[in-house]
Amino acid sequence: MNDPMQLQLLKGIGSADCMDELRSLRDQVHDQMETLLYKCPIEPYNEQLNEVHDAVIQRSIILAEAEMARAGKGSPPVPYAYILFGSGGRREQTLSSDQDSGVVYEDPVSDLEIIQQYFKELSNIIVCHLQEAGYPPCEGNVLSSNPEWCMSQSAWAAKLNGWFEEPTWEAVRYLLIMADSRCVYGEAWLVDELKDLFFIDMLNHSVIVRRMLENTLRHKVLIGIFGQLLKEPYGQDAGSLDIKYGAYIPMVNSIRLLSIQHGIRETSTLARMKRLMEAGKLSEVDGTLYEGAFRLFVRLRLMSTEIRVNGLYSSSGKLSSSKLTKEITDELKSSLRLGKKLQRAVFKQTMGRLT
Amino acid sequence: MIKKTMLALGVFTVLFPLMAYAEDPSTATLDMGLNSLWVMLAFILVLLMQGGFILLEAGSTRMKNAGHVAGKTIFTTGLAALIYWAFGYGMAFGGDSSFNAMFGWGDFFFNPSITAVQGDSYPSTVFFLFQLAFAAVSLSIAWGGFAERAKLSSYIIFTLFFVAIIYPTVAHWIWGGGWLAEDGAQDFAGSTVVHLTGALAAFAATVLLKPRIGKFNKDGSANEILGHNQVFTALSVLLLWVGWFGFNAGSTVAIGDGFFGFVAFNTMLGAGAGGVAALLISWAVTGKADITAMLNGTLAGLVAITASCAFVDPWAAVVIGLAAGVLVFYSVKFFEKIKVDDPIYALSVHGAAGVWGTIANGIFATQALADKVGVGTGGLIDTGSWKQLWVQFESVFVVGAFVLVASFLVLGVMKMIMGFRVTEEQEIIGLDLSEHGAYGYPEHMKKADSSIQG
Repeated sequence: MNDPMQLQLLKGIGSADCMDELRSLRDQVHDQMETLLYKCPIEPYNEQLNEVHDAVIQRSIILAEAEMARAGKGSPPVPYAYILFGSGGRREQTLSSDQDSGVVYEDPVSDLEIIQQYFKELSNIIVCHLQEAGYPPCEGNVLSSNPEWCMSQSAWAAKLNGWFEEPTWEAVRYLLIMADSRCVYGEAWLVDELKDLFFIDMLNHSVIVRRMLENTLRHKVLIGIFGQLLKEPYGQDAGSLDIKYGAYIPMVNSIRLLSIQHGIRETSTLARMKRLMEAGKLSEVDGTLYEGAFRLFVRLRLMSTEIRVNGLYSSSGKLSSSKLTKEITDELKSSLRLGKKLQRAVFKQTMGRLT
Repeated sequence: MIKKTMLALGVFTVLFPLMAYAEDPSTATLDMGLNSLWVMLAFILVLLMQGGFILLEAGSTRMKNAGHVAGKTIFTTGLAALIYWAFGYGMAFGGDSSFNAMFGWGDFFFNPSITAVQGDSYPSTVFFLFQLAFAAVSLSIAWGGFAERAKLSSYIIFTLFFVAIIYPTVAHWIWGGGWLAEDGAQDFAGSTVVHLTGALAAFAATVLLKPRIGKFNKDGSANEILGHNQVFTALSVLLLWVGWFGFNAGSTVAIGDGFFGFVAFNTMLGAGAGGVAALLISWAVTGKADITAMLNGTLAGLVAITASCAFVDPWAAVVIGLAAGVLVFYSVKFFEKIKVDDPIYALSVHGAAGVWGTIANGIFATQALADKVGVGTGGLIDTGSWKQLWVQFESVFVVGAFVLVASFLVLGVMKMIMGFRVTEEQEIIGLDLSEHGAYGYPEHMKKADSSIQG
């Protein structure tokens, strides 16, 4: 996709008047991006793709605000920020990512309940809009329409502190989700302040890293002791490789954990790697190799089997055996070995710091 | 004091006059008695292996077929007893005939003498029971290929042909003084006779029946149809393992100088090695330590050591078991790849491992042990001669070919005349209901029943 086309597209998205229009623009992007995947270098490709996703989401929010106003509910009563978690937060959405989102709004001085109600209704509309635009909702219900993820600043602060105080398995998972949060629309400072709190809490609860480590290393890199790929043995996807959970996520998780430990606020994995190298936490040599491996995983993840159910874009995250050519397999194997090496390094570093 | 003692002795002589005069039993009688007890005990152990097969087959298949799977094993064991009595035993071990090299003839509707005949080392009754239990085991192995989709009537017909003709013929060739026995084929307790024979019948059945609904996708990829109870499957392996000491050690059919202990010893090593190897290989290759693979490996170790347990040194028993464990893991993958549905893994566990165990004799048998058992010669490693290995190949090949042809013939004709497989609807409802009218797990199956309608 060349730049003028991209600009024009973003402009189109930015001025779309209804969800139908947004949807058809997104479909258009889809068709274009699919053909481009094999021609473009992966990093600019990924950037462009995520710009488009951001634009669609932003426009959907604006349209939702307008809808609220038309329904006589007024405009947002206090400043707020719409947060993306997961791949959206990391600027690593594929052509078929789902919604992981939340809302944080400034503490109201009065009318707490009315304001709560406003954001609840707004979020419901936004989530519906995005569904119309083809984004399936998060299966774990990490969604702005879930009151647990749509709160005022002080409620968020209490929640964060609670997670740190009682790091159950679920709480640790939520904290790791928080680490990838990014403001996609609205007042970014609201999210920044949440992040401030997050990193202060981290300093005061350094043992929590051990719990985070368990969670982080949960997904194994899919390479066996003979250096063979560990493919799906059975079912429709037999012979395919789970790129998402067997290659991409282990690396994302490892780099996230290192970043959390060193107070790095970037959310995208490649940016995190750069900062880790600058801070001397990853050697230049290793870091460069990890970057290369990660780019491959991002590219292969974009090539994984797509499923379209009821107009929603989704993906199995698995790379079918037909796409596992000899070259890709070889490249994949050496990259997976790097992924494994990174996991070991993260384990050693984390445990070393604690003892 | 002396008076009292004398009095007591006197009273005892009056009470038990025989003790004073009874003759000691002869050594031969004692020997016969001990041997009979041992063979009888071995028979009981091998018969109990049917319990293992019930749990193995039921545990490895789905709930909707559990009652059928379990019940038909008991039923066909009973039917096999009658047929073996009437025909099978006579075909395998019946008196000499002019065509003795091919099969035996005589002793039909076997009518044994009520005690051991003078000079025999055990009564023919216990020998009959022991041999019958082997035939029943082979039959239950064959059922692995029928699982979850064959009509009940096909079980009856196949039991008839298998126990009357197919199994006895092979048993006669190798154990009954037939032509392979003449050649010196070593198969101590039946890697080939019992296991390979059963497995090839299962192969013929599963090929003719075609895979279960839902086993393979349109693009040829396989789905995993998990058994409904892994604890049953594990228990079944333990039952079979215990039973196997009757199977192998009992095949000495003598107490003698305690050689049966050595046979049992090797059996234990083979089983352990098979399970360990299978778990490790599945862990290394798939990244998951697979329980099913480990259980299959343990059984494969047992199957493989069955032929060689009396012919090899303990270290070789370990090697044979280890190789069997690895072999069975890849064999399962192979059959899936060529799209043969093997629900109980009979083809891999009893077939592939059975072949390996028989061939292994040609490699690992020692001259000393071959002389002790009195069958064949030492294998490649001990003697440097290829002779025994060749004989082993020959016996596997010939037996394999015979069983395959005979089974395809019987089952193929049966398929044409009366049909072999239940209807699609019956298969989906489950054989418990379609063949017997009641579920093995009625409470659990109610929901599934209503969802089929919808």
